[in-house]
Amino acid sequence: MRFLLTLLFLALLVLGVWTFLDAHNHGWWLPPNLSTYGHDIDRLFYWILWMVGFFFVLTEGILIWCVFAYSKKRDTKAQYTHGNHRLEMLWTAIPGAMLLFITFTQMGAWATIKFKSSFPDVEPIAEVWASQFDWRIVYPGPDAKIGTMDDIESPFEFVVPVGQPVRFNLRSRDVIHSFFVPYLRIKQDAMPGMVIPVWFQAERTGSFDLVCAELCGWGHYKMAGRLKVLSQPDYEAWLKGARQEMFSNGSEDKP
Amino acid sequence: MRYSLSQSTKTALEDSPLVQDQIAGALEMLFGTPQNPGFQRTAQWIEDDFDPNHPASAADDGGSGELTEAQWEAVRADNARRFSEQLARVERGEYAGLASFRAAPELAASVDSILSDSDLSDADRRSSLKSLFEGYYPSLRDSAEMYRQECLHCHGVEGGGDGPTAGPAEHPFLDPRPRDYRLGKFKFTAVKDKARPRREDIYRVLDQGVYGTAMPSFRRFSAAERWGLVDYVRLLAIRGEVEGRLASEFVEEEHLSAESQIEIYQEIWEKWGEAKSKVVTFEGEIPEPTPAMLARGKELFHDAAKGNCASCHGDGGLGDGPSAWKIDDDGKKVSAYLDDWGQPILPRNLVRGLYRGGRRPIDIYRRIYAGINGGPMPALGESKDAAGNPLLSSDDMWSLVHYVRSLSERDEAVAGAPHAEPSSGEANEHGHGGSGGN
Repeated sequence: MRFLLTLLFLALLVLGVWTFLDAHNHGWWLPPNLSTYGHDIDRLFYWILWMVGFFFVLTEGILIWCVFAYSKKRDTKAQYTHGNHRLEMLWTAIPGAMLLFITFTQMGAWATIKFKSSFPDVEPIAEVWASQFDWRIVYPGPDAKIGTMDDIESPFEFVVPVGQPVRFNLRSRDVIHSFFVPYLRIKQDAMPGMVIPVWFQAERTGSFDLVCAELCGWGHYKMAGRLKVLSQPDYEAWLKGARQEMFSNGSEDKP
Repeated sequence: MRYSLSQSTKTALEDSPLVQDQIAGALEMLFGTPQNPGFQRTAQWIEDDFDPNHPASAADDGGSGELTEAQWEAVRADNARRFSEQLARVERGEYAGLASFRAAPELAASVDSILSDSDLSDADRRSSLKSLFEGYYPSLRDSAEMYRQECLHCHGVEGGGDGPTAGPAEHPFLDPRPRDYRLGKFKFTAVKDKARPRREDIYRVLDQGVYGTAMPSFRRFSAAERWGLVDYVRLLAIRGEVEGRLASEFVEEEHLSAESQIEIYQEIWEKWGEAKSKVVTFEGEIPEPTPAMLARGKELFHDAAKGNCASCHGDGGLGDGPSAWKIDDDGKKVSAYLDDWGQPILPRNLVRGLYRGGRRPIDIYRRIYAGINGGPMPALGESKDAAGNPLLSSDDMWSLVHYVRSLSERDEAVAGAPHAEPSSGEANEHGHGGSGGN
């Protein structure tokens, strides 16, 4: 029984460690990073993963040793101890220091991404409206104002230029939604009645999933969108095409 | 699995269960079953080699030729994107699991048959698979499967708008309810005279969604998948319309012959074909909204002899006009109108800027020009006044469109980045106004 239990916990340990080390070979890992600040997020993620991983192996190792060494069969008499003050101080201080370390290392990343004062100095490119159950992106027209008659509206597709900071206002029509682009490492709740500024800078072009990350109703699973990152000329061409489509006279519908 | 008859057919033919069976049988002959849907071809169609089941093939070449060259190009381009993973695997020669498609049983079967054909050389196999994916256009069977997985839960097996997510009829979960296709009426189209929708109109609804309702944009499907769904929705709508006509034919004539069944079927098919000639377009550039136009639009909006919009949409466009409401017997304020589906219908609140049929100027133009099929919104575009003159000139129409669109302009309009348009000098001036989130 002792060997069986030891093996069981050992298997857990090996499987757990193997999963993390090998996952990226199977596409089970984070999607490739796309945004400038995503590198910081990933670095933090790995810092924390390595810390947690170290303590996982350590505590699991102690557990396995205990299961093996103090089984009932061995019948060693339990020993009463009043504890060890030094040891307790140590295992309080070390995690405490680590938590402080995490706190201070993440502050820069959090501030870069979420603090309005550290936003890049650009005007919002669009308003992103979340509603049950789709995404709708409103771009300003030539008057550069959103909410006027010359706006361009794009359902589903959020088109942005590559290699420059993109700022947008996130809004909700009904309930709480959450704007989540895993490739950008950005997740931001959309609250009804609030205008929430969000920014990112995409490093390469392509099409990426945009999903809702807040259970928003029965159709939550359907609430998908697409982030399309285009080069500056392509973006301008797209905008021009979208404008033409927006103000078309319907002649393309002629038989 | 079979299509069921609608509640209204069952009620109309309550005393004639045999006729119900006859109609169900006739419909199954004409439109197949949910697992195996398809239009029955009439003798004439077979002679002309015309087949509505294959809209992507030419009309005299075993199809109905309803997909234009440009649409077909877009489908092929989107297929290359949709099947990029499959195409890459074909290129590498990795065939394992290539035939697994969640919502396309016939595509899966085609892939399987190419893979299991041992006479093919590897190069031939690759090129057949490549052309299969690149030129994929879903059959009605594939689209029916897609419909079952993505649409049925709201729109129901027969397209009656009675799927489980729609909720029970007495206390529905969704407001507005999902469209019941079976009347053949679609609200947001580009056609006038309450004509049936074109395939492009249904496609646009799938592409754009119906904003402000539970119908989202379905751009996450490929173009081919969306066209396929359009084909299947059209089949369900025509099936529903034929069903309604067969039932009323029996109620009127107390007899339903095989000939009249085919006649009704053909008549309704032709009615759907008319839509193409009924498109509302506008020649020339859309006039820019000037203050004078907006003032004119406001005048027409309130003029009872002209636009008369305010009587329903209210003085401020809030959808609270006097004609839209009535006081019922219990003294409650209720909607004055029922739509063709028997549901209370309210005029749109134009200030919110949620236009279900699209917010492009041409969309609003079409709503005003042709009205909204199935609801009380009248068609003003070709109306005449008492003296027989056109009610609204084209300038009047655009004044109204611009005025209606201006109602949803927000006071809190926020500054945005100036865009590619050349007028960016002016844009910059505005650009630094009330920036950021307010």
